[in-house]
Amino acid sequence: MSEERETRLLMISPSSHITPDQLTRTIHTIGKRVAVKETCYGCLVEGPSATVREIRDEVRKLDPNGIFSKIRAYPCGDPRRCRAQHGTRPGFAQLETEWKALTYIEAGLDASDRGEKVQEIPAKKQLPVTEFKKICEVD
Amino acid sequence: MKVFIDPPNSMILFDLVERFGHEPLSTMAALQERVDNIEIDMPPMNVTLDDVVKGLKYAGIEVPSGIRGRLAVWGPLIDQADAAIIMDGAPFAFGCIGCERSNLMVKYLIQRRQIPVVTVEYPETEEQGKLAVAKIRDFLKGLENKTEVD
Repeated sequence: MSEERETRLLMISPSSHITPDQLTRTIHTIGKRVAVKETCYGCLVEGPSATVREIRDEVRKLDPNGIFSKIRAYPCGDPRRCRAQHGTRPGFAQLETEWKALTYIEAGLDASDRGEKVQEIPAKKQLPVTEFKKICEVD
Repeated sequence: MKVFIDPPNSMILFDLVERFGHEPLSTMAALQERVDNIEIDMPPMNVTLDDVVKGLKYAGIEVPSGIRGRLAVWGPLIDQADAAIIMDGAPFAFGCIGCERSNLMVKYLIQRRQIPVVTVEYPETEEQGKLAVAKIRDFLKGLENKTEVD
């Protein structure tokens, strides 16, 4: 991983009370020399790797289990990816799908913090043909 | 420890691996090196000759070029990995869309490395979310203990 530049994507869980605006303002108030770009799902932070990680840890204090992050290959505003410059966003379908599941992951992290014991969920079985026939047949 | 995540571009898995104190191996880090250091138009859509040769290590010449291209990025990550987390049963838009054969090849390569692996189901309810997080947490904590024993 490059130590020079790190672009990190911060995403807010749908059940979190934090807004992208709050997140961006908090990063600005930390006062580090990084670039911040507010987005619909949270924000992008770009700067030296160590500083960006420091900011991630600091920002997480707002909502420890409701803010998620991953690194991004392309820099902020890269014309090949930035929508403002008609770039493609091939990763957006993935982000949208993950955003929907974040509530469940957040619940999982909360349960983990509480030390809750989790039961194994029995696997779904296929419907036997005889039962399926009963459902289909009209009396 | 270095943990390979499958799908390799997943934010959920990347975040959880970092939270529990390990280093995730992801597509994003591999592509960042190509974006920063190599002058090619748009990785991963465009590849270098080296990528094509690297891909041959993981998939034969008769395998479609798309699979070889993907494995040129993911193969070296699997080689570096000390452990792996696989998320199964996800909707089609989750992970690198386009080729189930590549995903099967990735699972095969992980299995061939004989490293510790945990498979979790994509969560669609709160209970499944709790189970997925608990499984990943226990697995990653177990890796720490393994390092201490070694």
